[in-house]
Amino acid sequence: MPKASSTLAALRSLVAAWNPPDRRACEGVPTGVPAIDSALGGGLPGGQLTELVVAPGSGGQLTLVQLFETTRSARQRVALIDATDAFAPEVVAADLLRHLVWARCHNTEEAFKVADVLVRDGNYAAVVLDLRDAPGSALNRIPKTTWHRLHRITERQPAAVLVLSRYGLVPAVRWRLELPSRFRLSEQRRPRLELITALHAEALRGTFTEEMAG
Amino acid sequence: MNYAVITIPDFSLHALRRSEPDLARKPVALIEGEGRKAVLVQVSPEALGVERGLAVSLAMARCPGIVLRTRDLKAETDSHRLLVAAAFTLSPRVEITGPECCTVDLQGANPEQTERAMRQGVADLMRMGLPARPGAAATPLLAHYAACCAEPVLVVRDAREFLHDLPLSFAEPTARQAEVLDGWGIRTLGQLAALPKAEVGQRLGTEGAALWERAAGETTRPLRLTQPTQTFASAWDYEPGIDNIEPLFFKLRRYAECLAFELRSAGFVAESLALTLLLEDETDYWREYQLPEPNTDVEGWLKVMHSQLESLTLPARVVTVRFVAKPTRPLVKQEGLFDTGLRDPHAFWENLAKVSAILGEERVGTPVLEDTWRPDSFTLERPAESVPAPGPAAVHPPQGGVLRRFRPPRPVLVMMENSRPSGISGYASGAVQAAAGPWRASGDWWRPDHWAVETWHVEMETGEIFQLARTAGGWTIEGVVD
Repeated sequence: MPKASSTLAALRSLVAAWNPPDRRACEGVPTGVPAIDSALGGGLPGGQLTELVVAPGSGGQLTLVQLFETTRSARQRVALIDATDAFAPEVVAADLLRHLVWARCHNTEEAFKVADVLVRDGNYAAVVLDLRDAPGSALNRIPKTTWHRLHRITERQPAAVLVLSRYGLVPAVRWRLELPSRFRLSEQRRPRLELITALHAEALRGTFTEEMAG
Repeated sequence: MNYAVITIPDFSLHALRRSEPDLARKPVALIEGEGRKAVLVQVSPEALGVERGLAVSLAMARCPGIVLRTRDLKAETDSHRLLVAAAFTLSPRVEITGPECCTVDLQGANPEQTERAMRQGVADLMRMGLPARPGAAATPLLAHYAACCAEPVLVVRDAREFLHDLPLSFAEPTARQAEVLDGWGIRTLGQLAALPKAEVGQRLGTEGAALWERAAGETTRPLRLTQPTQTFASAWDYEPGIDNIEPLFFKLRRYAECLAFELRSAGFVAESLALTLLLEDETDYWREYQLPEPNTDVEGWLKVMHSQLESLTLPARVVTVRFVAKPTRPLVKQEGLFDTGLRDPHAFWENLAKVSAILGEERVGTPVLEDTWRPDSFTLERPAESVPAPGPAAVHPPQGGVLRRFRPPRPVLVMMENSRPSGISGYASGAVQAAAGPWRASGDWWRPDHWAVETWHVEMETGEIFQLARTAGGWTIEGVVD
């Protein structure tokens, strides 16, 4: 009968074989939002999906623009897959978008087709799949196998994949954060950087401390 | 070596087999003549027991499975273009000596590089189904002899040694000359060339002297030079017409490989591709494919076209295809020391083409703001090859949240109180808790499409902050401030 230690070692090697070897080696991509970066232990993890659940007015678009600014400073490429074609480029200085590839989708189905292509690409530091305001009926029709496929594709690539949603959508996601706070109209005169610093992120699934312990 | 000759033995047969891959490894023969007078003129090695000049009935009796065909002139033209393209990889001074033969002036060329180029050309043509045999020597005639003996490349450095054992038939003596020389015991070119030219001339006349010169390989001549092609196009027919892309891509790949080879040999790359499909109902479909980066990568071309063609629906069958590659010189540039380039440029442009096929070309790219205050004015441009260093930070840091647009804007009714929005009804309804504005902008007053807009931010009971816009068309919600 095999010893318990050898069985455990075999189990570990099996788990290691299942996990892609470069999974933890992929560098994170800082979003520039302190609350999110600290919750994720430095930034969006490369080779993994991260879901950010945001209600309207709670800073989702602010986070997106800050991610663009941070990656622009680092001269990394970013892809935005915009399922509802809602991004407004005029809110950002023109120079801050020169690293961005924006895919303006007509519907959710197209967004997933585009994600399937761009996540595989390998030239992007981050790929953002923005599913906010997509019709619930379309989102509910997404089969789990599609998410599973996206997970598997992401694991093989260095890019960090951020899914923006209105409610928890992504099954088996390692990191799901929520921005619970909401801005008031009276705060719209504050510098954007102050608003970003004031953002609060709650981990709905996975925390950096759990990850470290694991 | 001053000259090279590239020849393809059994050219018509190989051209036919190249155009019909089903004939590969089958016994095939080309016939000429009609009825009982038809004889075999070219025979594939698989046709055992059959040789040139044999009557058709006899050939079929000796080799029951033999496939007999007549010449395919279209296939020969296509193969000839490849042969010429291969010749131009050696030198720009090329003579089209025959359909299956090109002579190249190599004077001034580096012998080692030329020999490498010849071997590469043989490999390229072989990959495309044409077993070429190049030979190089001091004169065009010697080079021709060398090409006839090449397996697969022969460079003649010592003409005397090379000619020594070559049969006399290479110099093409007349029947009488052959008989006389056979009587003298002369059976090789080397033996004839060893005789004094004047003595041969005295006994066999001027024709004999000319034969001696051919035997010595000394005959030289000026080449009738041809110009490299400047148009890179192929066309082919389907009989009957086709209604799916599989047979289209089968031939498209083959013709694309030929065009890519022609482009490379002429020192070009393809800037864009144009595909014209003529349909059975006498209409046509035309599409130009702008390549993300000029290249001769056939796989990349096909992927760009496949993304678009697989979703194409045509009203009738395709009967003729015309495929054109627009040539341009290859890009030569040096990257900046600190530029952040693409890790995999081919994948990047190819994937962008795929996304364009899914969304439409105008819906993917890098946003560039237009020089106007008109709301939502931007264009999507081709992403930069490398991400440049960011410019200086803005003098006035941005304030507040970021607009997330509704496209198109949602029409809404707005109730006003003291010239400020107090409630809205429509896409969203409710009392306005707080409002900021108005911000007014207008422009292009000198143009018919002049514009003017008044913008407000309103906070609703639900906590959402909407951006309202009042234009000549009424009130709309432009988006949510997020």
